Order: sequence, then C-alpha cells, then structure tokens
Amino acid sequence: MKREEILHNLRKIFKDDVIEVVDKSPKRVYIEIKHESLVKVASYIFKDLKARFNTASGVDMRNHMEILYHFLIEDINLLISLRVKLQKPKLEIDSLVPVFEGANWIEREIHEILGINFKGHPDLKRLLLPDDWPEGVYPLRRDYKEWDKNAIRDRGV
Amino acid sequence: MSIKLKALLKSPWVFHLSTGSCNNCDIEILDCLTPRFDIERFGMLLVGSIKHADVLLITGSGNRKSMERAKRLYEQIPKPCLVVAVGECALSRGMFIHSYNCPVPIDKIIPVDVYIPGCPPKPEAIIAGVVKLIEKVKKDTMKK
Repeated sequence: MKREEILHNLRKIFKDDVIEVVDKSPKRVYIEIKHESLVKVASYIFKDLKARFNTASGVDMRNHMEILYHFLIEDINLLISLRVKLQKPKLEIDSLVPVFEGANWIEREIHEILGINFKGHPDLKRLLLPDDWPEGVYPLRRDYKEWDKNAIRDRGV
Repeated sequence: MSIKLKALLKSPWVFHLSTGSCNNCDIEILDCLTPRFDIERFGMLLVGSIKHADVLLITGSGNRKSMERAKRLYEQIPKPCLVVAVGECALSRGMFIHSYNCPVPIDKIIPVDVYIPGCPPKPEAIIAGVVKLIEKVKKDTMKK
C-alpha cells in the first residue's frame, strides 16, 4: 500500500476515533486518537498494515499526560506515531500486551516512571527502578520532589 | 617498601568498572591500551576479574543500583588497592547532579585515590593521572 492510501484508509475506518492527523514529513505522521480506541487502532496498524512496533514514549505535559506509540512500516519507510492524551488525575489506558508482546516492558517502564496504569497488563511490576524506591513516587513527573534525605546535591566546592 | 606494595606499583592490574557512564570514558580507556598510547609499558593490564586486580578504575555517575555493585566489588578487591575515578561524572556526577538516580557522588561511598577530570579525559590525561598516582604512593612509602 502507498503512503497516501494508508492515511486515507486510517481516516476512513477510524473516523470517530481519530482526532487529528499531523503530516509532519514524508517519513513521519502523528495521529492523535481517543484513548478508548487505542487497542482497536493499534491492532489495525500492527496486524493489517504489518507495521513493526518500535517503542512507546510517555511525557508529562503539565495539564495532561501523553503517550506516543511509534510504529514503523518498513517497506515504505513510514513512522506512524499514535498520540494518546490522558487527562490528570485519571491516568488509565488499555494495555497493548494482549495484541503484541513487545509492549510489555515499555509499559512497565512508563508505569514506574510516570505512574500510568495499564489496564490488562499481565504483570505490571517495576522494571528498572531500585528496590528501595518508595511506592507512589514517580521520578519523571513534573511535580517530583526530592525524597531521599541522604542525597547530596552540591559539588562540594 | 613492602613486597606487596612493590609488586602492585611495578605492574598495576586494572579492573574497569562502569557505573552507568555514557561509554565515552570507557572508549578513551580502551584507547589507552592501543599501540598509540600503549599503557602496558607501565605494566598496566585490564583484567576480567576483580580478584586479579590492584586498581579499581571507575567511570560513570554512580546510580542507585550500580553503587551497590561497586561497594561489593570494593570489598572483593585484594588490599592494598588503589581507586581511580575517571571522568567528570565519576568526580561530581557532571550534568547528572540533580538526577533522581544519582544521589551521592562516588567518593562519598568508596575512598578514591586519584581523580582524572575531563568529559571524556584524553588518554594522555589518564596516563598522566595514573603515573602521578604511582609516584605519589612510592613517595609516601619511602617516607615511612
């Protein structure tokens, strides 16, 4: 399928789910979708368009949280980023692990670092943070405060 | 000078430990071993096991998880030993000073004998630092 055809089909099939399509460059498209319809759109891109799931990235944008799921269609070299906005304080989204296993670890990492709850994830435990890290403290949130009493934050000069 | 210390200074074997560095310091350390700089002329050799080493060479900013391992390695290294911190991150954590994962600088956890600054330090700087350390230890033991 050609690039225009793919975008046209996406707009047509998911016309209630797609909020905005940003055609950034020949290699890159951002598609903002509603967070309820993530699994539907992602499985269409993954299974029907035969895209590869690169990774996901989470950002704290002060007023809302944003997750970008990056898919690459290799034979036409097109990177599709699905953008999902989550309104604070309800940070919940459906997990993509039932669709493809590759989302497992990145969802665990986003969970520990931003505190987003992935519904339906088989084993949502910590991935990289140390064991003595306190519960409910998420380091990459905007309102993160230093919790460690022993931390030294000057250079000693 | 004790025979142990004499043997250590004659040919210090180095164990290279990266505690979460960006690998640039590690590349420069690897450069020291190439024929151009040839650090083996001072008898230095990278070894694979901490139990064979005389010098613990640390790079990286020392994050929460890796410092636990660094402590364990320091307990295992045969004494007397020397500790060398290479690079800005190992000295003062550099740009990661406010990072949630690097709470304490390395020299507050492990006693460091020589600091080699730079981001990354040139191979010449690393060699100069290590030679200075050897000279210093020799001089100190001569006095005793």
